[in-house]
Amino acid sequence: MPPAEAARTPSPAAATSRPPVRGLVLGVLAVAVAGLGLVLPSFWLFLATGAVISAVTALSVGIVYGRAGMISLCQLSFAAIGAFVVAGLNTQGILVLPLQILLGGLVAVPFGLLIGLPALRLRGVNLAIVTLGFASAVDVVLGLNAFPGADSGEYVTRPALLAGDPAYFAFCWAVFVALALGLAWLSRRRAGLAWDAVRRSERATAALGLSVPGTKLWAFGLSAFVAGVGGGLLIGQLLTVSRANFEPVFSLMAFALGVMLATQYWEGALVAGVAMALVPEILRRTGLPQDLTSLLFALGAVEALFRGTGGLAARLRLVAAHRRARDLPAGLPPLPATQQSRPRVTSAPGGPVLELSNLSVRYGQVAALLEVNLRVERGTVAALIGPNGAGKSTLIDAVTGFKGYMGTVALGGRSIDAVSAHGRARLGLRRSFQQDRTIADLSVEQYLRLLSGHDLGRAELLEALHFLGGPHPERPMDSVDVGTRRLVEVAGLLAARPQIVLLDEPGAGLDEAESLRFAARLREVPAVFGCAVLLVEHDMALVAAACSQVTVLDFGQVIASGECAEVLGSPQVVRAYLGGEDAA
Amino acid sequence: MLQSALAGLAAGGAYALLGACVVLLYRMVGVLNFSTAAVGAFGAYASLEFLDLGWPYWVAALGGIAVGTLLSGGIGWVMSRWFFEVSVGVRSTVTIALLIGLLGLAHRAFGDAPKAVPSAFPGASLDLGVTISSDALLALGLATALALGVGAFLNRTLLGVQLRALSERPTTAELLGIPARRLSLLVWLFGGAAATVAVLVIAPTRPADFSSLSFLVLPAMAAALLGLFQNFTATLLGGVAVGLLEGLATYFDAVSPYRSVLPFVMVLLALLWTQRGEVWDAAR
Amino acid sequence: MPSAKKSSSRASILGAAALLTLLLGAAQTALAQNKAPIKIGAISSLTGAAVFPESSQAAKAVFDRVNAAGGIGGRMIEYISEDDKFDPAGASQAARRLIDDEGVVALAGSASPIECNVNAAFYAQRSVLSVSGVGIDTKCFTSANIAPVNVGPYSEAAAAMYYASNTLKRGKVCFVGNANPAQNAGYDGAVARWEKLSGQKLALLDRTLRPGDDLTPTLLKVQRAGCEAVIFSGVEPQVVAWMNAASTQKIKGIDFIMLSAAYTDRLAKALGNVGNGMYAISAFEPFSGSAGTLTDWHTLMNASKVPLNSFSQAGYVAANVMVDALKKVKGEITRQSVTAALRGLKNYRSPLMGSAYTFGSGANNPNQSVKIVRLRGGQWVTVNTTWLRLPAAGQ
Repeated sequence: MPPAEAARTPSPAAATSRPPVRGLVLGVLAVAVAGLGLVLPSFWLFLATGAVISAVTALSVGIVYGRAGMISLCQLSFAAIGAFVVAGLNTQGILVLPLQILLGGLVAVPFGLLIGLPALRLRGVNLAIVTLGFASAVDVVLGLNAFPGADSGEYVTRPALLAGDPAYFAFCWAVFVALALGLAWLSRRRAGLAWDAVRRSERATAALGLSVPGTKLWAFGLSAFVAGVGGGLLIGQLLTVSRANFEPVFSLMAFALGVMLATQYWEGALVAGVAMALVPEILRRTGLPQDLTSLLFALGAVEALFRGTGGLAARLRLVAAHRRARDLPAGLPPLPATQQSRPRVTSAPGGPVLELSNLSVRYGQVAALLEVNLRVERGTVAALIGPNGAGKSTLIDAVTGFKGYMGTVALGGRSIDAVSAHGRARLGLRRSFQQDRTIADLSVEQYLRLLSGHDLGRAELLEALHFLGGPHPERPMDSVDVGTRRLVEVAGLLAARPQIVLLDEPGAGLDEAESLRFAARLREVPAVFGCAVLLVEHDMALVAAACSQVTVLDFGQVIASGECAEVLGSPQVVRAYLGGEDAA
Repeated sequence: MLQSALAGLAAGGAYALLGACVVLLYRMVGVLNFSTAAVGAFGAYASLEFLDLGWPYWVAALGGIAVGTLLSGGIGWVMSRWFFEVSVGVRSTVTIALLIGLLGLAHRAFGDAPKAVPSAFPGASLDLGVTISSDALLALGLATALALGVGAFLNRTLLGVQLRALSERPTTAELLGIPARRLSLLVWLFGGAAATVAVLVIAPTRPADFSSLSFLVLPAMAAALLGLFQNFTATLLGGVAVGLLEGLATYFDAVSPYRSVLPFVMVLLALLWTQRGEVWDAAR
Repeated sequence: MPSAKKSSSRASILGAAALLTLLLGAAQTALAQNKAPIKIGAISSLTGAAVFPESSQAAKAVFDRVNAAGGIGGRMIEYISEDDKFDPAGASQAARRLIDDEGVVALAGSASPIECNVNAAFYAQRSVLSVSGVGIDTKCFTSANIAPVNVGPYSEAAAAMYYASNTLKRGKVCFVGNANPAQNAGYDGAVARWEKLSGQKLALLDRTLRPGDDLTPTLLKVQRAGCEAVIFSGVEPQVVAWMNAASTQKIKGIDFIMLSAAYTDRLAKALGNVGNGMYAISAFEPFSGSAGTLTDWHTLMNASKVPLNSFSQAGYVAANVMVDALKKVKGEITRQSVTAALRGLKNYRSPLMGSAYTFGSGANNPNQSVKIVRLRGGQWVTVNTTWLRLPAAGQ
C-alpha cells in the first residue's frame, strides 16, 4: 500500500532513488485486501468490515493524540455525529450513501472545532476532562433522542452498487486507504509536521511561525472528520445504530489502542481495528471471558506509556529508520551541480534590521531587563553576552513575543509590539532555543522542512545542510547527537531566509574545533542567506570569531556595546564577567 | 423546588468527597486520577460481595474500604515505581488506561449487572420541612471533615509539610531525605479509602452499575476544578454546588433529562475561566 | 451456503484466508448429513449493563430433555446460545455467526433489550424466524420474523395502566421509565391504547431516566404531580432504589405498579418490608404461586438448577413452541421447513400462558394476558387468579 512507502521513507526524493518495490507490493496487497470480500464467509467478512471501520476511528485518535499530542476521549462521539447525519439524510433519501458519509464527516468538524477551542488554552490533562465530559454529554443526548429513523424502525439503505457485503467491505477499505494515504501525504507537508511540533513544544511551534491555536484546531477538526466518516461507515454496515454503539467507554478503548499501537500510522491503525474486532472473537472461541479485552488494551497502553517511546507502530518505524540510517553514507549526498555556484545574496542596504528601544521586563518588583536599547544592523552578525542571569534569554523571549514587555521592538523599521509570537516568526524574526526542542521521531529532512517554513525543494534543504555540515537528511533526528541537532536547527532557520535569526547558545555541545568552524560559517550567513544574526553565547572564542558587534548585558542592563574587539577588551566587561563567574 | 435541589445533596456530598480525593492526589503526587471513582466503585462492589457472604453491613463496608485502599495502593506502587519521573500528563494518561482496565476487571470480578447498594442508615432522614436523607448528611459530613482535615494536616503537621515539599519538588524532597516514594504511596492508600467511602455513600441513592459509578469521576473533576485543583474548601463547595444544581434541574422539565450534562458545562466554563490568562505553559 | 463452494475454488489461490473458508466449507457439508444435530440459536444479553441469562438456560433445559428422550426423529437438538454483551455490534455479530457460520434453522429463547432492533432486517433477509423468549425493544413486536412469547413492556405497560385505572380506580395515573429511543414507539402506542380503553389521560409521563440516575428527584416530581398510581418501567436495581427512595422520602398513598422485570425473588428479598404493597405484572402464570400448571416447569427448572422467575418461564415456553414446531415438520428439517412449521402453528397453547401463541406474517405480539402480583412482607402474592386480558382497543 502506498501510504507505507510514503510515510516510512522520509523523503519522496529518496523513494525514487530506490526501486519502488515495497510501494508496488503494498499497492498489490491493498487491491488484494479489497477483494477479500469475495472469499471470506459472511461472518468473517462482517468482522473484517468492522475491523476496517474501527481502523478509521483509530486513525482519528492517531491524528489528535499520536500526532498533535492532545488527549481526546470523545472520538466515538464524533463518530456518532457522523452516523446521525447519515441516518438523517438516508431516511430522507437525500444524496447517496458515500456522499452522506462525506457530509457526516464534515458536520462532525464544527463539533471537533468546538471541543478543540478549549484546547487552545487548555493542555493535556485538562483537555482529557473536557473531552470525556463531551463524550458523556453526547451519550446523554443520544439516550434521549433517537437516531433519525431508529424510533420508527427504519433502516439505512445502501445503493445497489454497495448493497452486497463484499462490495461494502471494499468500499470501507478504499475509504481507509484513501484516509491513510492522505495522512501520509500530510506527514511530509508542513501542515502535518506542525502537529508534531505542537506535541513537542508549543513555544517551538510558535517560533516556527505556526499558529498554535490554528494547528490544534486543525488537528481536532480533521480528526473529527475522520471519526465522523468512521461513524457513517458504521451505520452503513449495521444499517441501524443506537447510543450503545458510541458509548464513552468505546472512546476510552479507542484512546487506549491509540496509545498502545500509535494509530497515527496506517499499520498501527489497522492493527488497532483488527484487535478491536478479533480480540473479543478469539477470547470467545478460546472460552476466555470477554472482559479481558479492555484489560488487555489497558495493560498495552500502560506498557507503551512506561516505555515512553510511543506505541507499537512508532517503535517499529523507529527501529526501521535506525536500520536504514546505519546503511546511509557517512557524509551528505552531493549537491546538484547547478546549485553549487548559487549566486550569493546581495545584502540589502544598511540600516537596523532589529531595534529595541527602552525594553523592560519585570517579574513583580524585580526588573529582569531595564530599558535595554539594542540595534542589529542589516547584514551583520551581532552578539549578546553577559553572565548567567543577566537577562539574555529573557531578552530573546521578549523580542520574539513569548514574554510581555514595556518599550518597543522594531523589525526592519516597523514596530512589531502588537504582533504575536508566531506572527513575528512569519515576519522573519526567527529564534532557536537553548533547550533541545527538536522532534525526535522526525527525520532530519522532515525537521528541516518544518523549520524552513515553506515547502522547499530538496536542493535548497541540502544546501543549508551543506553550509553547516549537518547529518544525512534521511537520518532520524534522535540518532543525531545534541550538538549536531543544534546545527540542523540553525540550518533549518537559515533555509527559511528570515530577516534575522536569534540563536540562543547554538554552540553548546560542540567541541572547540567544531565551534570555530561553526563561527566561520556564521560569519558568512549574511552574505549567503541574506539575514542578520543575533548570537547569544557563553563561548567567548565563538563570539570573537563570529561577530562584528557585541552588546554586554549585566543585571538586565546594557553595560557595553560596540565593535567586538573593543568591547571584549573593556575593563568593565572583564569585571562583570569575573565578578559573575570565571571568564569563559 | 427547594426539596428538589436538596435531593441533590447526597450526590453533591459524594462529588465533593471524590473531588477532594482528586485534588489530594493532584496536589500530593501530581496526577489527575481518572480512576478515582472506579477504584471507589471497586471497593464498594467488594463490600457488596462481603454482604452476600452474610457479613454485617459495617464489617462488609470496612472490608470494601480495605479492598479500595489496597487497590489504590497497588496503583500508587506502580506509579511510584514506573512513572515517578514522568510528566503529570503521562501519569494522568496512565490513570485513563487504568480506568479502562478497572472496568474490565470489575466486570470479571463482580459481573456487570447493576446492583442495589444498601444504605448505611436505611430509611433514616432528617425532616426540616424538607426531607434530607441520612446518606446526604453522611456524605456532607465526611466531605467537610476530609476537606478541613486534610487542609489542617498539610499546614500544621510535619508529615503534611513533607508531603507538600514532595509535591512541589519531588527530586529535591528525595535529596532532603524525605521518603518520597513511601509518602506518595501513603497518599494513594488514603485516596483509595476515601474514594470507596464516597462511592458507598452515593451508591444507595441510585441503581449502581460499575461503569456509571466510575464515570462519577466527571462531576468530581468538575468539583476539583472549581477548587482549581488546589483548594479543598472550594472543592467541597463546588461538589455540593454541582449536586444541588443537578437536583434543581430536575424541577424544570425542559432541562431535567439533560441534568447529567451540567457537570460538563461547569467543567468547560470553569476551565475557560481559570485558564483565561495563561498564554505559554512554563514547561513547554 | 452456495457461496462457500464457489469460494473454495478460489481459495486454493489465496492463502490463509482461503484455508479458513475451506474448513468452513467442509463443516457445511458435514452439516448436511442426516444425523447431524438440528441447530437452534439464541441471542441474549448474558453480560453487560442488564443481563437476561435465565431464558436461554431454561430453553436449554427443555431441549436437553427432548434430546434425552431421543431427540426429534432421532436427531439431537444442538442449542447454541450467544451473548450479545448488551452491545449492538455484538448482537449483529452473534446473528451472523449463528445464521451464516453455524447455519441454525431457527432461534428460540433469545432474551435481549437490543437484539431485535439490530437483527430484524437480517432475519428477514435470511428468512429465519425467532421465537424470542424475552422481547424488549419495539422491533421485537413489529417484525414478521420475530414472535416473542412474553407480553413485552408495551402491552405490560398498557395492562398496568388499565389495572390502575379500571381495577384500582385510580384517577391520576402516571408513567415513569427509562430514556430509550428504541422503545419510544412502543410505549407511545401503549399509552395511546390505554387512553382509548380508559378514556383517561396520563397525569405525568417521564421517560427520561438514565440507568445510573438518582431517583429521588423524579419521585418528588411524581409527588408534585399528585400521582395516585405510578407505572414504573425501570429494571430491577432501579426498582430497589425507587422504593428505597420512596421510603426515605416517606411517600404514602401512591400505588406503584412495576413491569415483569421487577417480578423476581431477588427483588422481594432486597426490598423486604420497604416494598410492601408494590404491584408487579406477571407475563406468565405467576411463578411464586402454586398453580398446578406450573408443575412441569418447576420440576424441570429445579432439576436443571435454573432460577425460578418469569425469564425462565419465557425460555421454557419458547423452547416448547420450537419443539412443537419441529415435531410437526414433515420431511427434512431445514430452515425452510421449520419456518413453515412455525408459521403453521395456529393457537398453540402453553399452560404458563394466558393467550394462544401464533406466529403471524405481520407484527407479532401474541401474548396479551397478564396476572398481577403484589409484595407483602417480602413475599409475592398473586392478586388476580384469572388472566387480565387487555382488550384490543381497536388499534
